[in-house]
Amino acid sequence: MNRLTAIVTGASEGLGKSLALELASREIDLVLVSLPESGLPELANFIRKNFEVKVTIFEADLTLAENCTSLFTLLKSEELTAHILVNNAGLGNWSWFEDMNLGFYKKQIELNVIAPVLLTHLFLAQLDEERTAYLLNVGSLAGRFVVPKKQVYGATKSFISYFTRCLQLEMERANISISLLSPGGINTKPELLVLNHTLKGIAKSTITEPDRVAYEAIHGMFLGKREIIPGGVNKLMVVLNSILPGFVKDMIIKSKLKPVVKM
Amino acid sequence: MKILVTGATGFIGRNLCLELAEKGFRVMALCRNTAHPYLITHKNITAIKGDILDKESLTRAMTGCRQVYHTAALAKMWCRDKNDYYNINVIGTRNVLELAGELSVNKVVYTSTCGVWGPTIKHPMNETDPRIDGFAIDYERTKYLAEIEARSYSAKGLNIVTVNPSRVYGEGPITDSNSVGKMISGYLKGKWRIIPGKGTQVSNYAYLDDVVRGHIAAMEQGISGNRYILGGEDISFNTFFSTLQNISGKTYGMLKLPQKFIEAYSRFESFKTTLTGLPPVFLPEFAARLRKDQKYSSQKAITQLNYSITPFEEGMARTINHIKSL
Repeated sequence: MNRLTAIVTGASEGLGKSLALELASREIDLVLVSLPESGLPELANFIRKNFEVKVTIFEADLTLAENCTSLFTLLKSEELTAHILVNNAGLGNWSWFEDMNLGFYKKQIELNVIAPVLLTHLFLAQLDEERTAYLLNVGSLAGRFVVPKKQVYGATKSFISYFTRCLQLEMERANISISLLSPGGINTKPELLVLNHTLKGIAKSTITEPDRVAYEAIHGMFLGKREIIPGGVNKLMVVLNSILPGFVKDMIIKSKLKPVVKM
Repeated sequence: MKILVTGATGFIGRNLCLELAEKGFRVMALCRNTAHPYLITHKNITAIKGDILDKESLTRAMTGCRQVYHTAALAKMWCRDKNDYYNINVIGTRNVLELAGELSVNKVVYTSTCGVWGPTIKHPMNETDPRIDGFAIDYERTKYLAEIEARSYSAKGLNIVTVNPSRVYGEGPITDSNSVGKMISGYLKGKWRIIPGKGTQVSNYAYLDDVVRGHIAAMEQGISGNRYILGGEDISFNTFFSTLQNISGKTYGMLKLPQKFIEAYSRFESFKTTLTGLPPVFLPEFAARLRKDQKYSSQKAITQLNYSITPFEEGMARTINHIKSL
């Protein structure tokens, strides 16, 4: 049987890079997508040198719809069929709603919501029905909990969660396995995570290492898990979330917020 | 010519001071305690009391210096206040670079680490390879952030070269930051009797004298904005201890501790530290690292800086002799 090929978006840094390495370690050929000047050629060379896999790169801004289309045009011209799509690219924020500008939110929604929808549509259209395909959408625990200062980000991840669960029902009979990954905080790019080294206690124990998250994600995806929540403490939080009454959760969130609420 | 060396009592810094002083440069040795026992006494070395977190003292030390070697860092495995890593390694570096710009220093050599890459897969990493691991280790994370500082000052026009030593071993004091020295000294006393896992994990060992010469070569020939790995040979724990045994003539029965045991023990230690505040013997993020190799290529430094690697056996023989004499 021919080898599998996986598309990973947002592959140059953070979780995307770890997902790419995890797939490469399973001898899966890669199509890596990331913004230009984000170190993608260097990562591709590193993977080619250290693993026996074929790596194709596509440097483009996925907030432009035409780039989603041209990714699949490129695959077609190279006679490549993708069997796995990992919708990982995303833009986070940790800021009060009024503090970011219109352009930021527009971009965030385009990348976190529109791009995965378009890519999934294009991906499904080129599938070879004889072979099991895999779709892994990267959501977030922030899509499950109401987290202040993550208002738009959390909402985009709630969208991904709804979208993925709906597709799971719609495509139950198709030869495709669809998984939602809901990670908590991940110890990735330190310049973006200035808060990580000051976290303590439970907040700190929810932070997981990217290689661990990537392993659980790809492992769960191949097992056909519907939702993958990496990390023991995170799983516990999800359980607590489903049993605690709403007013208790609100109290906890408000008490956590007290020191930072600006009035 | 006057040259500032920060971290002058450190494992690399003190020998760098000596080498520069021997070459006839006037070395301003920055240290928090000018009576520090590890500070080298030499007619060309002037101890200057100061701290990279105190800009006033740093300005006093740097004024009139044409070159700066910034080797000061917090390199221990653990410290009580985790913010120290960020403050010393990132803010301290920012202070040094900012003042170097203001005081018109000609060139800065910044001592980073191969830890900014961390673990490797099959082939040794070089300067263009990406980091593949997360940032569980505070030292690595803050040194990575400090390199971003160096890049941003380089973009603003500062003439700066970054050097990345691997695991440095050699003739010097045995401290918490000198982990290889601790291992050798423990073995010679018959106290270090374990080999992690199957002993096949490979690390890159750089001989101190090579690293010091590499720093000076980086100052003389390093291309601004570039970084250079200053490493040595890739050696497994098994080879490390058999070399140590052959050269020292001391043979001990070594216990190969299973990886799973080390990981469990490190979690216990981490828990103990959380409860009691006592320094841990070992931590989970370091235990996890023992699963992976750390191989690095010094080819760029060899080509561009004329860097040379002392054979591991030769470097070890000199190091063992030195540690025996302590």
